[in-house]
Amino acid sequence: MTRRWSGLAAFLVAAPVLVGVAYSLFASVGLRGGSGGFSAEPWTAAFADHRLVIGLAWSLWVAAIATAIASLAAILVATLFRSGTRSSGVARFLAVVPLPLPHVAAGVLGVLVLGQSGLLARGAFLAGWIDQPAAMPALIYDRWGIGLILVLAWKEFPFIALIAFSLLAGRGKSLEEAARTLGAHRWAIFRTVTWPVLWRGLAPAVVAVFAFVTGTYEATVLLAPSDPLALPLMTIERYTDIGVASRAEAHVLVLMGLLAGLGAVVLHEAVRAWDRPSA
Amino acid sequence: MISMPTVARRGLLPILLLSAFMPLAILMLVSVGRDWFFPALLPGTIDLTGWRTVLGSGARLRPALIASGVLAVATGVAAMVFGAFAGSAIASARGWRRVVGAGAAFLPVAAPPVAVATGLHATLLGAGLGSSIVGVFIAHLVPACGYTTLYFLGVFTVREGGFEDAARTLGAGVLDVIRRVTIPMMRRELLEAVLLGAIVSWGQVALTLVAGGGRVRTLPLEVMDYLMAGQDQLAATGSLLLAIPPLIAFGVLRLALRNVEMVLP
Repeated sequence: MTRRWSGLAAFLVAAPVLVGVAYSLFASVGLRGGSGGFSAEPWTAAFADHRLVIGLAWSLWVAAIATAIASLAAILVATLFRSGTRSSGVARFLAVVPLPLPHVAAGVLGVLVLGQSGLLARGAFLAGWIDQPAAMPALIYDRWGIGLILVLAWKEFPFIALIAFSLLAGRGKSLEEAARTLGAHRWAIFRTVTWPVLWRGLAPAVVAVFAFVTGTYEATVLLAPSDPLALPLMTIERYTDIGVASRAEAHVLVLMGLLAGLGAVVLHEAVRAWDRPSA
Repeated sequence: MISMPTVARRGLLPILLLSAFMPLAILMLVSVGRDWFFPALLPGTIDLTGWRTVLGSGARLRPALIASGVLAVATGVAAMVFGAFAGSAIASARGWRRVVGAGAAFLPVAAPPVAVATGLHATLLGAGLGSSIVGVFIAHLVPACGYTTLYFLGVFTVREGGFEDAARTLGAGVLDVIRRVTIPMMRRELLEAVLLGAIVSWGQVALTLVAGGGRVRTLPLEVMDYLMAGQDQLAATGSLLLAIPPLIAFGVLRLALRNVEMVLP
């Protein structure tokens, strides 16, 4: 395979997504999917429905908090367990073990542990904090999405941690040694070397996790409430509705989900551009 | 006096241990536990009813397990073949062509499966492949090919092609070079790519649900149904079946460490 095929390879790998997005774009204005012709009705109907706006905001909230918790935990673990000692190696291994676990299995675990009569509630009963399952604060299907946030943060933490380990073991190590040789203290090294290396290196992965979590279906369907309804659940609900109008709205939601991810990428690029002169 | 970082390390290590092994232990316990009522911390009875129900003859999960397995293997092999060619082609490009190629490979990985599924389903319906296992296979191929292309992009970027050049100089044709040099030398990478593609397919829900129209039943869909029906024991058993193959792949081939190289370029 030579370089003249690179264009064809790029086209083939991206084509199904582009075709899907193009279909959603046309279907969202009535030009595909059995509608009568061009119409902005699906867009106006979707935005007139306050549940959609709340659902989108709710999904962004869950994604932002889960990504923030996973990122901070990954930075903490990567910074504390970076040495070549045996215990640090064990800690780094333990941190990435949950990485290959499917999201469905993570969602099942969330229900078994955080549910109203789950293991956490049983522990609370034994500790004398609650006297019946109903007294346990709702951690799943709750309006704030606490259970979903915890499960997604736990599930995404290994991915970000893995990249943080790699960053600190590579470029970070040599820069820190140089700073130490020049007489910098531990805190000064962290502030001027470790943190910039970590945040610049982790930013693409954090953006990817945020975009992924915003649109993730598996854990959301198992742990999220029905009101507000999360964006991916609303999309599937409208897409599987027999009404043509609902399907067109589903395509509007698809495009909004993609725009949310694109917005995160644009924000990331803007922050990088702002940071570059001082780098 | 013990320093703050040392205290933090001592506090975090047990948490990491719990985070790594507690989930599997819980799933294992729930899968064999019966008569486990609130507020008991341990099940009243331990037996293998859940496993027999899930895997025994005539069990509902069996066809779903077979469908998931067939889809995973077929997706893994096809995505490996595609990814090897696409990845090597993009790796050989320079300048903006390479940037565009890498960006294109990122697209199916980064796009939310729900978004990919809805547009793709309508296209598959038009081609007469909607709600069929072939349609689901094609849908699974989309993200799987993205992952394997990125994987091989990383592999071919650092790989020297000296042996292939030598074979060509000695008169070998394109197919001979692939068959006699590239494949024998890259056996491990090819196997890892098959596993990577298979794992992507193995855990898919949204793509299967939409492209399969609810008719193609795979293991993750059945697990979700069990949980929603309140059959925790069967859901835990199915979850373990879902979790074990990727964990083995991760442990044996250290796929995750290679994923970093794949994601970062």
